[in-house]
Amino acid sequence: MDFSTDVQASVLAVLPEILMTILAVALLALDVVWPDARKRDLGYVAGVGLLAVIGVMLVLAPPPGEVSDQLLLGGMIRHDQLAQIFRAMVILGGALSCLVTMGVPRLQHRGDFYAVLIVAVVGASLMSAAADLIMAFIALEMTSITLYLLVGYLRGDVRSSEAGLKYFLFGAFTSALTLYGLSLLYGFTGETNIYRLGGVLGRSDLPDGAVAVSLALVAVGFAFKISAVPFHFWTPDVYEGAPTPITTLLSTASKAGSVALLMRFFLAVFPPAGLLGALEGVKDYSALWVQLVAVLSVVSMTLGNVLALVQTNIKRLLAYSTIAHAGYILIGVAAISTDKSAEGAAAVTFYMFMYVLTNALAFGVVILFANATGSEQIADFAGLSRRSPWLALAMTLALLSLAGIPPAAGFVGKFLLFRAAVDANMVWLALVGIINVIIGLYYYLIVVKVMYMERGPEDGRPVRVDTPYVWALGIAAAGVLLFGTIMVSPLVDWATEAARALYILL
Amino acid sequence: MFGPGESSTIIECTANTTCTTLHAIGTSLLLFIVLLTGFAYMTLWERRLIAWFQARIGPNRAGPAGLLQPVADGIKLIFKEDVTPRNAERVIFWLAPLIKMVPTILVVAVIPFGPPITVPWFDGKWYRMTQGLTDPNIGVLWILGITSIGIYGIVLAGWASNNKYAVLGGLRSSAQMISYELSMGLAVVVPVLLAGSMRVGDIINAQNNPPILGWYVFQNPLAAAILFIALLAEVNRAPFDMPEAEQELTAGYHTEYSGMKFALFYLAEYIGMITVSLIGAAFYLGGYHFIWVDRFPLLGPLVFAVKVFLLLSGMVWIRATLPRIRYDRLMMLGWKVMLPLAMAAVAWTAVAVFLAEQVGKELTAVFAIIALVIFFAGAQWWLSRAGRKTPLEPGAGRIETVSLSEQARGR
Amino acid sequence: MELTVESLVFLLFSLITLGGALMVVTTRNLFHAALFLMLSLFGVAGLFALLTAPFLAGIQVVVYIGAIAILIIFAIMLTPQVTAVRPTNSQWIAGVVVAVVLFALLVSIVTPLMSELGVEGWSAVFTEKNPPPVPADSMARLGEAFVDPQGYMLPFEVASVLLMAALVGAVMLVRPARGAEDEAPQAGAQE
Repeated sequence: MDFSTDVQASVLAVLPEILMTILAVALLALDVVWPDARKRDLGYVAGVGLLAVIGVMLVLAPPPGEVSDQLLLGGMIRHDQLAQIFRAMVILGGALSCLVTMGVPRLQHRGDFYAVLIVAVVGASLMSAAADLIMAFIALEMTSITLYLLVGYLRGDVRSSEAGLKYFLFGAFTSALTLYGLSLLYGFTGETNIYRLGGVLGRSDLPDGAVAVSLALVAVGFAFKISAVPFHFWTPDVYEGAPTPITTLLSTASKAGSVALLMRFFLAVFPPAGLLGALEGVKDYSALWVQLVAVLSVVSMTLGNVLALVQTNIKRLLAYSTIAHAGYILIGVAAISTDKSAEGAAAVTFYMFMYVLTNALAFGVVILFANATGSEQIADFAGLSRRSPWLALAMTLALLSLAGIPPAAGFVGKFLLFRAAVDANMVWLALVGIINVIIGLYYYLIVVKVMYMERGPEDGRPVRVDTPYVWALGIAAAGVLLFGTIMVSPLVDWATEAARALYILL
Repeated sequence: MFGPGESSTIIECTANTTCTTLHAIGTSLLLFIVLLTGFAYMTLWERRLIAWFQARIGPNRAGPAGLLQPVADGIKLIFKEDVTPRNAERVIFWLAPLIKMVPTILVVAVIPFGPPITVPWFDGKWYRMTQGLTDPNIGVLWILGITSIGIYGIVLAGWASNNKYAVLGGLRSSAQMISYELSMGLAVVVPVLLAGSMRVGDIINAQNNPPILGWYVFQNPLAAAILFIALLAEVNRAPFDMPEAEQELTAGYHTEYSGMKFALFYLAEYIGMITVSLIGAAFYLGGYHFIWVDRFPLLGPLVFAVKVFLLLSGMVWIRATLPRIRYDRLMMLGWKVMLPLAMAAVAWTAVAVFLAEQVGKELTAVFAIIALVIFFAGAQWWLSRAGRKTPLEPGAGRIETVSLSEQARGR
Repeated sequence: MELTVESLVFLLFSLITLGGALMVVTTRNLFHAALFLMLSLFGVAGLFALLTAPFLAGIQVVVYIGAIAILIIFAIMLTPQVTAVRPTNSQWIAGVVVAVVLFALLVSIVTPLMSELGVEGWSAVFTEKNPPPVPADSMARLGEAFVDPQGYMLPFEVASVLLMAALVGAVMLVRPARGAEDEAPQAGAQE
């Protein structure tokens, strides 16, 4: 397999990253130049700039059709539809995080905060496209290191510092394990490009144990990034302690990029034998990771949902919910090995897209609420429907989407995931998923009940909603609603097209 | 001239194990002796020169013109009581002077002192060998790596002494050395770029084209100046001798040291001066090249020695002239002035090298002339600006005295 | 096992590396731990040199010993409690067990691969008589690979962006509070 050397295509392939880097540097410069009174507008520059990057990316750089043209820059990245759609959601997550930052008094005028946030988005965006072990690891570290900094950004705040330290220790530990796994893979094959690596690995005569150990080590890093059990311990504390815009980023951009890389990596490095063509002597290691992912999925879903039942803090609740959702997503990932119709991958892609919008919406409301009342306790949400009906409606929409109830996009996402699992002969996985959805309904609906049924002490005082929030919540809510109803098929089509790219290996 | 005849056989020394071994041992011994003697007489020369700057006479009692003074100092230091503080960390206290001294000597290993020479041996053959211990292709990296180990000596000495002045001195010196090492590294990149090699010998030889004018100091005077300043800071010489500022820290990291252990620090400082002068001369002043060196290789070490001597005298001159700068200003200079300037210097040379490759070698000269003009214009502007800024604030006229105890540092 | 000069040097450097690393985690004095860390890193540099990678060895010394370890020591000198640190906590037995199991696992997966890699048993690594020659221009090639668009240009540039962000972040974390509005705790609010 040769890599394309087309200069124009190479530049276009990393255009979003180039633009975002320029944006980050520009923000740092503006931070110095602009007077303090104006610095809040840096959030607009960052958020709108990121949205513009998505636009430029979609208009200017449609991925080339031929696979041989998609592996660019020495095979470091692959510019295909999958990279494109995941980049879109990663950058969207970043943009919404920037917009909601503008409502946080201690962060809104910080140019350096926005700049580092954008670099984290660059890392996640590169993860969506990385096709080389070296590139993948650097992209992974790029999001991790910047997020360590951002999570601990509020220095005066003990919980933020604790969260930063916790995230760092956990992240450094899992990164080391992942790197060990990657180095084993390189040692076995002498290749770093994942598409070449898969072929070499399939034709080599390695003992199963060796491959399983390296796979497991690499999986640790992914499990950490998407906060799947048993590498989820950091999630509740970090989600609670981090500045909420960063919690948003953690649960959207960082997670989406990791999911893209996870699918690409597993399918390319340990491909099911059928995918490599009818070559003799190709060994099929895919069963290893399918089993691993299925187990992780079941454990994550169940543990996340059960522990979410007892939470009283809304950010912790959403943290456990994110663990559960990692489980749902892994259902789809487990299903991608068997079907060539790309249903599983398409379902994961769709699900991730709607999850980014939904979480941005939910955390946006949480920030607004915390600003207005100074509390993140679920009990304090009482009477929100009377204080600010639109906000309560937005939160309800987000929670319905997370729970998977029809008008919101979450329903379609879950439906696609479970259908993919059934089609892949994993009915039991789908069943476990459905049981979990029912458990999840309970705690999501409790929050809705508190907002609408219970009376709070400050019923009369409305919660002020700033302009950037109107935009951020508007975009997210519109997305959740539209992709759940009339816009389902365009997004599903796009996701399916993206998913097909995943299966074209050679 | 002394040399092999037409008929004699010449053997490359590197091809012969015995010759390699003998060459290595012989050169090491020679370097060691030269460095130690150099150290001894450097102390004398510094004291005489400073005395001269201050209109005094300086040590002139021991031997003719004070030439035996270093011997007297040495005897005194050997017979002094060697005190180890009770709560000191014994092993580290012991190790620190060694860690400080050994790297300064090791650096010399990768610097060639002249063109290869051919030497007759008793078996009637002639052997061609390098002047200098070795010349590996990572010479520059070796220099950077080994000098960075020297910091440990100071830090460990400061910590192991269990004395607050010593700790402060150690902290200061480590911060200072880390800060200036960056500029030093960048300033060293310039000759590497120009010569296209990390071998010190290659860098020296590349400066002989044309002789004298080819010296890299003319190609990039800014980088040369930065290297010189950074090297001064690297060996903790005035005006960067903050780690041992006696008004504030008694003697800094070696407050608790006495006797031979102190002598080792003393030795390390002066040998360090010699080695950094060697580095500076090799990277920017053409190393052993001058005129006629190509024809008479044995002239190489001599030319090198003269250049080093001039640089050393320059260091003493600076010490006699400039007061110590305040610590925060030192850091400011390192990070906010030297580092950006060093980056600019590297970028300049990188562009020059690239364009010269594309267009032609003549462009190098053009770039060199522009660089010189900019450098001198910039220096002129800066100095005149510094001179004008003199409305005195109250208390600003306080004179920093040059301490006399510096004279008696031999204790 | 045949003892050659190489194998002896290899054993020596391995001993320095591993012994130093062991002392780092067992010594009760933080300062000593930092020094042993330096020793261990030095051993790694020696191993690089033994593998005929002098450039990596040099970089190892410059970066790890010259910069990182000295920064660690710097931080330790500013730490009040340096001696009598308990290097273990209540979970140390579990830690040891996991470490041993992981080590055994890795050894067990690498051992069967040795014949495939052309090595005969563990001792064979010491006695390789004709290692492939190192190209003379390896350093130039390394440099070119970093700036070649078909080589490692993208990761190289991305790493520099990452370093920039890390630099900004480091400043961000240590910058002194600017004005009251910055650090004022807002009555219960986390944001």
